[in-house]
Amino acid sequence: MNEIKKTYKNYVGGKYLRSESGKTFRIALKSEFYEVPLTSRKDVRDAVVAAKKGFTEWQKLTPYNRTQVLYRLSEMLEGNIETYQQILEDSGLSKSKAKEDTKQALDSLIWYAGIADKWEQMTGNLNPVAGEYFNISHQESLGIVFTLNSDENSLNQLLLNILPSLVTGCSVISFNGDNSIMALKLAEDINNSDLPAGALNILSGKFDQIIDDVSNHVEINAMAIYKQLPSTDKKIIRENASKSLKRIFINPPVSGLESLLPFIETKTVWHPKGR
Amino acid sequence: MNTWEYAESIESSSIVSIEKKYGIFFDGQFQSPNSKKYLKTISPSTEEVLSSVALGNQSDIDSAVESAKSGLKVWSKLSGTQRAKYLFKLARLIQERSREFAVLESLDGGKPIKESRDFDLPQVAANFFYFAGWADKLDISWNTKGLKPYGIVGQIIPWNFPLLMLSWKVAPALATGNVVILKPAESTPLTALLFAELCQEVGLPPGVFNLVTGDGTTGAALVQHPDVSKIAFTGSTAVGKYIQNETADRDIGLTLELGGKAANIVFNDAAIDQAVEGVVNGIFFNQGHVCCAGSRLVLQEDIHDEFVSKLEKRMQSLRVGNPLDKNTDIGAINSKEQLDKISSLVNEGIAEGGSIFQTDCDLPTDGYWFRPTLFTNAQPSYKISREEIFGPVLTTLTFRTPEEAIEISNNTEYGLSAGIWTEKGSKILWAADRLQAGVIWANTFNKFDPSSPFGGYKESGFGREGGRHGLLSYLKVQS
Repeated sequence: MNEIKKTYKNYVGGKYLRSESGKTFRIALKSEFYEVPLTSRKDVRDAVVAAKKGFTEWQKLTPYNRTQVLYRLSEMLEGNIETYQQILEDSGLSKSKAKEDTKQALDSLIWYAGIADKWEQMTGNLNPVAGEYFNISHQESLGIVFTLNSDENSLNQLLLNILPSLVTGCSVISFNGDNSIMALKLAEDINNSDLPAGALNILSGKFDQIIDDVSNHVEINAMAIYKQLPSTDKKIIRENASKSLKRIFINPPVSGLESLLPFIETKTVWHPKGR
Repeated sequence: MNTWEYAESIESSSIVSIEKKYGIFFDGQFQSPNSKKYLKTISPSTEEVLSSVALGNQSDIDSAVESAKSGLKVWSKLSGTQRAKYLFKLARLIQERSREFAVLESLDGGKPIKESRDFDLPQVAANFFYFAGWADKLDISWNTKGLKPYGIVGQIIPWNFPLLMLSWKVAPALATGNVVILKPAESTPLTALLFAELCQEVGLPPGVFNLVTGDGTTGAALVQHPDVSKIAFTGSTAVGKYIQNETADRDIGLTLELGGKAANIVFNDAAIDQAVEGVVNGIFFNQGHVCCAGSRLVLQEDIHDEFVSKLEKRMQSLRVGNPLDKNTDIGAINSKEQLDKISSLVNEGIAEGGSIFQTDCDLPTDGYWFRPTLFTNAQPSYKISREEIFGPVLTTLTFRTPEEAIEISNNTEYGLSAGIWTEKGSKILWAADRLQAGVIWANTFNKFDPSSPFGGYKESGFGREGGRHGLLSYLKVQS
């Protein structure tokens, strides 16, 4: 029928925004077309501003609070689970596969929600230094993380690309290509959970159009690339990143404690013991 | 206020025997470099030529890589416990020959014997002991799946703590099952060469530890070699950026321990005399050639005059001179090049309007020396407040509120270390949470331990060395 069903918007700083360029691109689901924003360099810069504010607010929450916010998101997701299943089916999955994927997605969200107030107990420790000192290594969030999400037709994979950095207290700019409908749909549930504005921002577009702007942006502290990229793109990213020693993670782990490790900085504090 | 003069107490250098010429070390042997070229290494305290060492080129790196490949075949078949035994044995041998190493370090690098003897060498041995014990416990070190060594690791180390930086790099790399190609600094190769002899003595399988001396071009050849799967570098931020850029087309492991411009914050409720000691140690330790040196004194305004007066008095008692004299506090600047860099930055500080205090002391006529220097009346925008000087130069900035102290301290691209001086516990924890730095020393400074992770935030690099966290610099997480 080739009818344009719906125009999705980017989700930045807790608001739904069109690209400032006014440009969109088309994604076909089943026999219908959807228009999604074609994120511009200016949109990226605006997202960084939003993510900076979001980082401050997300950091203010206690780990216990972060667990509750993410659990709340799982409740929202569960309430709308059929919508996600429909998107998956419209994108080519069988009914049973779509159902299985959304079930796994919920499980992933529950797993990550529950680790927000625990991971630091697994990554930090006292150090038995030779001397009369209290010495502890604990972890802090890296800051603003840009994630290039996998294009896989999967809600579960989408969440596994977002949650590792988000759960460590980073603010996230999540960039999506072919999977944008799913991601922008997820933005609606994010908006209805209690995540602070700007902590998670969802953009859609063509990565090769913004690759330089993202990798050159000094206020993005890290990039996590969950998509398979040609080596030429990886080279561009790492060359640009070297100007400010941006942390680059190419295809990092997507499960377990190891998925969190890229997004933390270890801080070690010493203090003498004495009377 | 002249007090009694110290009598000289010179450590004898007869304990070391230095060869006229050294080759590169691979396949478990010293061999002539393919480059057929050599560099002179001098003593910065006398400018006397100590020896000639190979200037390794691309072809020498190729030889080392081939050696490392055969070393890896053997090393990867050993059990963790077998690897541990080699490292324990190396630790023991280092202890046994520590006097020799210490003298050699002070001769080649210019640092005071009391530091090489009482700090560097005990820490070197401790690093081998500590990481030896991890070699057979990697499976229980982290709650993660499938930690695997990288294989061939290229390591490039600086001239400020030559053997200590070798131990920070080599001990964890070997413990985790990697093999190593090490490129020591151009101006301080001698203790690494002596370490290679120790590897022969303990019967470390050939190719497990390889050493290529040389200059920046040698390091570049190592970084560019396609069969090196991990680079670990300690040095300047500029070179760290070069390495990240140079390796952009390869999926390799990279850890960088780079520069710093640490704030040492003194609150008005600090124990002042202790803080003065800590500030002096923080900047003048090892001639200020320390990446984590407390080079910015961030002082609460109402104690400025009292603190600076005590600080100047304490600085005046620092003894500058012969590194082999056991009374020496501050030795020689490592090289002519570094001395020129320090002098030029200090001159800019004066030109920008900083008030300078330098101690009144005689300097030897030969060699490279710089007087302990304090700047007051400096602005955060001055070059001396922003750039790493890597010398015995302290810049003072003042603040009124704790929030302002944090803002000044974090106002830098660097984030390696920071110091906090206050008697109030809650203020320490408050400040420690807000300072963007990988190592925070509260009511102490410049403390190190093999079990304590070290490494920076922001442009001070990434990755940690030391402790359980240091293992992850040499292990890939396989998902």
